[in-house]
Amino acid sequence: MLFKRSGSVVTYFVDGKIPAITSDDFTAALANHRFRTIETAANEESSIGWVSAGDPTGDSFEVEDLDLDLGVWLRVRVDKKKLPAAWLQIHRATAERSAGRPLSVRERRELKEDLCERLLPRTLPSVQFIDALWLPKQSRVLLFSTSKSVREEFEKLFFKTFAVALEPVDPRSLAEHLGLGREALAYLDEVAPVNWPSRGDARAISTLAERSTSPEAMEIEN
Amino acid sequence: MSDGASFGFLGEEFLTWLWFRLETEGGDFDIDGGRSVGISFDDYLRLAPAGEQETTQTLRAGTPTRTAEARAGLQNGRRLQEAKLVTALGELQWQFVLDGTTMTLRSIKLPDDDPELGGPEEKSRERAANFVLIHEIVEQVYAQFLRLRLQPSYLQQEAEAQANWMASS
Repeated sequence: MLFKRSGSVVTYFVDGKIPAITSDDFTAALANHRFRTIETAANEESSIGWVSAGDPTGDSFEVEDLDLDLGVWLRVRVDKKKLPAAWLQIHRATAERSAGRPLSVRERRELKEDLCERLLPRTLPSVQFIDALWLPKQSRVLLFSTSKSVREEFEKLFFKTFAVALEPVDPRSLAEHLGLGREALAYLDEVAPVNWPSRGDARAISTLAERSTSPEAMEIEN
Repeated sequence: MSDGASFGFLGEEFLTWLWFRLETEGGDFDIDGGRSVGISFDDYLRLAPAGEQETTQTLRAGTPTRTAEARAGLQNGRRLQEAKLVTALGELQWQFVLDGTTMTLRSIKLPDDDPELGGPEEKSRERAANFVLIHEIVEQVYAQFLRLRLQPSYLQQEAEAQANWMASS
């Protein structure tokens, strides 16, 4: 299995301590929240959990599948089982034709429950793999997805697994982690957007400082 | 302002400064280890609205930094919200979209695999290392911007020069 060559990344700061990859605690934590299949489930449901690049079932977590020297290759599997909408429409149309009238809300609910029971055990779930790279030395995680729902699911799973919160990087938090001097960091609390002048407003350039610290400038930007 | 989301302007100012820096001093930046990286803009730009009544402006294909629309955006005081960048370090070259508002890297394309590398394990290690390296490069250039930006005298010096450049674009 080859690590991806392209993708979008959300970076997190790891707010806490995670056991070393070589420790039993690390693999036990992954195993406790490993992926569990819903292949035969008779309900509409989803399953999310850890797998490894070498074993997409979540049954094993070999260190050689996880260790990329400077980082740890984490992989989440998300399966979702849903009754195909087209099948529901077909069965509803058939039932309404034989009844000679539209189905009531209760009848529609009962029809859906019946179809779920009969069809879902034969329906395969959709499968999605999401990769992440945990960088122990930098206390960061690179998540290879920018989807809001994936990010939320990943953050929840990570917290449940390691009891450690992930803080997404933003321009300010990143600034705080770049080894800038104390004075620069203190100034972060005061910095306001520059109110760049528009064309034809030549005087504005010489009064840039005044314009960019005025309450009005702050209001426009926020 | 205490939450990170309200500091999106800082990442947008970084991208706008990058454009200014590239056009006035060139695209070479010194980073750790005595190395030098080259940065250039590629074929995608997104300009932030200058005020509440305006919309974002997206420019694709060709060399958008040279278009009249992009220049007009600068002249109207717009910040750069997103840009596709090409970054080179020695033989290595990355392409990616930098979202200034969140400082996230999207649509990253890594350098080609080293043909001398053996199996998938070695290639995976190199790819992971290259994902980490591009983040480190962007952060080091961002730090260079912040060292200028987070000085109380910034508005009287560097920003004034940039404002003149924007007005005369």
